[in-house]
Amino acid sequence: MNEQAVLLSDKIDAIIAGAGSLLPELLLAGFFLLLVTLDLFKSKTIKQLLPWLALTGLFSAFVLQILGGYTSGGVQFLNLLRSDGLARYGGILFSAAGIFTTLLSLQSRSLENLKEGKGEYFALILMLVLGLNLMAKSINLLMVFLAIELVSIASYILTLTLKHEKRAVEAGLKYILYGTLSAGVMLYGMSFFYGFTGSLNYTEGTFWQALLQADYLLVTIAAILVFAGFFFKISAAPFHFWVPDIYQGAPMPIVALFSTGPKMAGIIVILRFVAAFSDPAVASYFDDILWFLSIAALATLIIGNFTALWQKTPRRLMAYSSVSHAGFLLMALLAFGTNYSSSVLFYLSVLLFMNYGIFLFLQISEENFGVTRLEHFTGLGHKLPYLGLMALLYLLSLTGLPPLAGFMGKLLIFSNVWEAYSSSNQTMLLVLLVAGVLLTGVALFYYIRIPYYLFFKRNYTEEKLVISLSNKLLLGFFALPLLVLFFKPDLLLHWIEKLLAQTL
Amino acid sequence: MDFILSSLIFSPLLAALVLLLMPARLQKPAKVVALLGALVQMVLAIVLYFRFDGTAAANGQQGYQFVEKLNWIGFSLGSLGRFQIEYFVGVDGISISMVLLTGIIGVIGVISSWTIKKNVKGYFLLYLLLLTSVMGCFLALDFFLFYLFFEFMLLPMYFLIGIWGGPKREYAAIKFFIYTLVGSLFILIVMIGLYTSVIDPLATAAQLGMLQTSGINPDTILQVQQSLQQNVIEGADLVRTFSIPAMMDPANFIPGSLLHVFSGTVLWDLPIRFIAFLLLFAGFAIKVPSVPVHTWLPDAHVEAPTPISVLLAAILLKVGGYGLIRIVYPIFPDAGAYFAVLVGGLGVLSIIYGALCALAMNDLKKLIAYSSVSHMGFVLLGLASLTSEGVNGAIYMMFSHGIISAMLFLVVGVIYDRAHDRMILNFRGLAKRMPAYTTFVVIAFFASLGLPGFSGFIAELLVLVGGFSSPDITGLLPRWLTIVAVFGLLLAAAYYLWALQRMFFGKYWIFPELREKATMSDLNRREYLMLVPLAILAFLFGIFPHLLLDKIGMTAQGFTELVLRSGQEQLNMVLSTIIK
Repeated sequence: MNEQAVLLSDKIDAIIAGAGSLLPELLLAGFFLLLVTLDLFKSKTIKQLLPWLALTGLFSAFVLQILGGYTSGGVQFLNLLRSDGLARYGGILFSAAGIFTTLLSLQSRSLENLKEGKGEYFALILMLVLGLNLMAKSINLLMVFLAIELVSIASYILTLTLKHEKRAVEAGLKYILYGTLSAGVMLYGMSFFYGFTGSLNYTEGTFWQALLQADYLLVTIAAILVFAGFFFKISAAPFHFWVPDIYQGAPMPIVALFSTGPKMAGIIVILRFVAAFSDPAVASYFDDILWFLSIAALATLIIGNFTALWQKTPRRLMAYSSVSHAGFLLMALLAFGTNYSSSVLFYLSVLLFMNYGIFLFLQISEENFGVTRLEHFTGLGHKLPYLGLMALLYLLSLTGLPPLAGFMGKLLIFSNVWEAYSSSNQTMLLVLLVAGVLLTGVALFYYIRIPYYLFFKRNYTEEKLVISLSNKLLLGFFALPLLVLFFKPDLLLHWIEKLLAQTL
Repeated sequence: MDFILSSLIFSPLLAALVLLLMPARLQKPAKVVALLGALVQMVLAIVLYFRFDGTAAANGQQGYQFVEKLNWIGFSLGSLGRFQIEYFVGVDGISISMVLLTGIIGVIGVISSWTIKKNVKGYFLLYLLLLTSVMGCFLALDFFLFYLFFEFMLLPMYFLIGIWGGPKREYAAIKFFIYTLVGSLFILIVMIGLYTSVIDPLATAAQLGMLQTSGINPDTILQVQQSLQQNVIEGADLVRTFSIPAMMDPANFIPGSLLHVFSGTVLWDLPIRFIAFLLLFAGFAIKVPSVPVHTWLPDAHVEAPTPISVLLAAILLKVGGYGLIRIVYPIFPDAGAYFAVLVGGLGVLSIIYGALCALAMNDLKKLIAYSSVSHMGFVLLGLASLTSEGVNGAIYMMFSHGIISAMLFLVVGVIYDRAHDRMILNFRGLAKRMPAYTTFVVIAFFASLGLPGFSGFIAELLVLVGGFSSPDITGLLPRWLTIVAVFGLLLAAAYYLWALQRMFFGKYWIFPELREKATMSDLNRREYLMLVPLAILAFLFGIFPHLLLDKIGMTAQGFTELVLRSGQEQLNMVLSTIIK
């Protein structure tokens, strides 16, 4: 009895000591509760205040994580969460994604017309960002699972925001079915791991040492099952089937969030996973898992890029583009060597701006000008040159052409893959590199179809089209970093490296 | 250090910025601004041409003049050392002719664009961006900078063809874009391989702290290179660079890197350096364009508006040839020697196949497009021979073809403006109606087919002399290859004279359906303004070839010696490690 009390008080001490490192999460959770509570009031003024309150919460989490210094030495929280530079940079990206989503939502007309559930919509964004933060910090399989589920549940409801639309309901239902299935599969895999090692802390060397003793085939299968869950989150093949339908049905700001937030967090989780078992002591033993990852990366790249070619609607096009980016990121993860994580984080940061930019563009064209198919873009670029130019910038950055940051991101990743190839001489890496480079050509082919309709075709109606100043500013805001990060990528890279070097 | 090279690159960009701020309805001022931008660039190019010292020794690796070097992007890769991108521009005998050409053609193009009516502001914005990126390509000495300008050419061109082009413009534009992008992706792979393998010895010395103690002297570089090859420098102290001159020195390659001469890595039975050469060659050959990757060119030319055709033929194609001379050969001289017959053979194939296609064309613009393919084949042949004459000839050919092809496309533009048609068989006896025009057509055709007295003759002569002497001097090309190439001259005479005879001589007649819309008036003042200077230049450089050869000569000679010598040395090294 006494021993337990000591243990408990130790735990409480650890929780109190470590709580500081969870300040951003606590902040987000606090604002989430505040929003849910305030949403109960019927007052119109309060309702109108909610998005701004959400914005305040996200923004303070953003600033807090940029400034850092909120931890009091406790690096690990109960062996569940680790607040290191990786998690902190991830947190900055997630808060930024949350802010951008809220901003996009404020510009969205279909959300403005929403009769009910507006308050919970913004609250759920906070909850989702909270889940993402936890995902990036988890070093324990169960914690990973819980964080992923937190994100998933928020995602399911957010997909269903526009309840009156048939497509949204279909998307939501599909998402829940696929999501729970993949979560189950992942949990099953994790239970194997626990059985083999008696531990859930996958970043520890002993975890992998213990796996070396276990049955090889079973370990491989278990790893593949776990990766299935991760792949679902980052929309990598062959777990990408949900992507186009969800992208088609969900509100645009939420699509933008799905294309960045969970993907970034998923990549960070996989990054921790891969970094743990790429340790030379165990890596050779897990060759088959690496093979599986390589094949999945290659398949994702090929499926994403080639399927995008046949798409007729901008949303589905972007869905497959998002799949192809997942493949790209997976490829980057395989090139483990020094500093590959800073290249991956750089790419994620660029992806954030590109995706929010392009989805804002799609939202404006869909809600203001009724664009739901690629042909509907006809002549829009002539009438609204600014809008057209911004779309062009985002799309070229997505393709990876200079002088835009997308090119820099790709260049860094290709360099890592090349470096990994020259030190390991694994032909698979060369195949991935060549595929990644050449598929850029394919990517151009589908991305360029939007500017093609925007500029090459003419629309002879006399209608005068306008977009609001706030939309214009936002469009410019997402485009500017793409140019700056091309010409001065070292600004961000230095900072990322500084963050990664310090373990808070 | 003066900033003449940066001014050359960025003067059109400055004009483009001014243009961007002007309201779209001001059409005339937009044109004037564009003209001013191009004029400033031309004047600077001419000034540079006169200030350039042609007697200074240079070989592509050293001897650059007017160099500007600034740190641009740099970050550390941890234990892999630092990663460095510089704003590094300079000019030598290879680039000076291209700079001059770009300056001149840029202005001619603006004058030719004077009749553009659709979206004037957008047109000239893209036009000026194009000028900036082409000039940047010719002056960049940092691979990253070069690649940036190289890729950035695609986009303005894509829109210029796709928006202002002919009836099938969209197809032509996307074809152009995809072809060149795939080419540039090949280049990208090799660029990544190169910069991860190559260090900047001077910057590495600075990193090691060697500069504080001894200051910069020639020994420092040698010392760094020696310790690099002995593998005694720590990874974290290596400064990896995109500098093209640094890539030319095999002593700068990190031992154990894949592209090192001793790497011994084999891929599909070829040393990996050879694969890299082939990828780069393919990337630039698309741009040249060489048979069999030339098929985008006729489409792009036929659909592009006249000024854009002029720009495309006169300067954009040259970037391909220039890339081969500036980058591919000096960095991979071993593979250059190994694949000489392939490169020369593709050159001859382009000469003959291009000429045969030209012979079969009914569309005058297509005929000229194929004649471009044929003439650019000479560049490949001259370069592959690796003789001093051949390389001089290749560079001269690029310059001369730039002047003459601009004239040819302008001439086609004249007839298309009047009749909205350019089928050879729809016209006859134009000489009677348009004597002045016919005079310029005759000049352009004869200059292009290589009549003595025109610049084309000098270029072809030099290339053929180089090709013929190659078996004796360098032993790279078989003699029959050059003999076959000579037939290209014959074919050129055939297609030009035949077209001339069909269109311009005999009794005046044009196809009845065209008569309503066609007003077959002779040249106007604006057209004289473009054609007269070009004709004079074609004469001038045909009669006084030393005007240009004096500037090219030293570099071409140094280049040939360097590439040949290091080519043989490195080829032996590469092959020796493979056999082991």
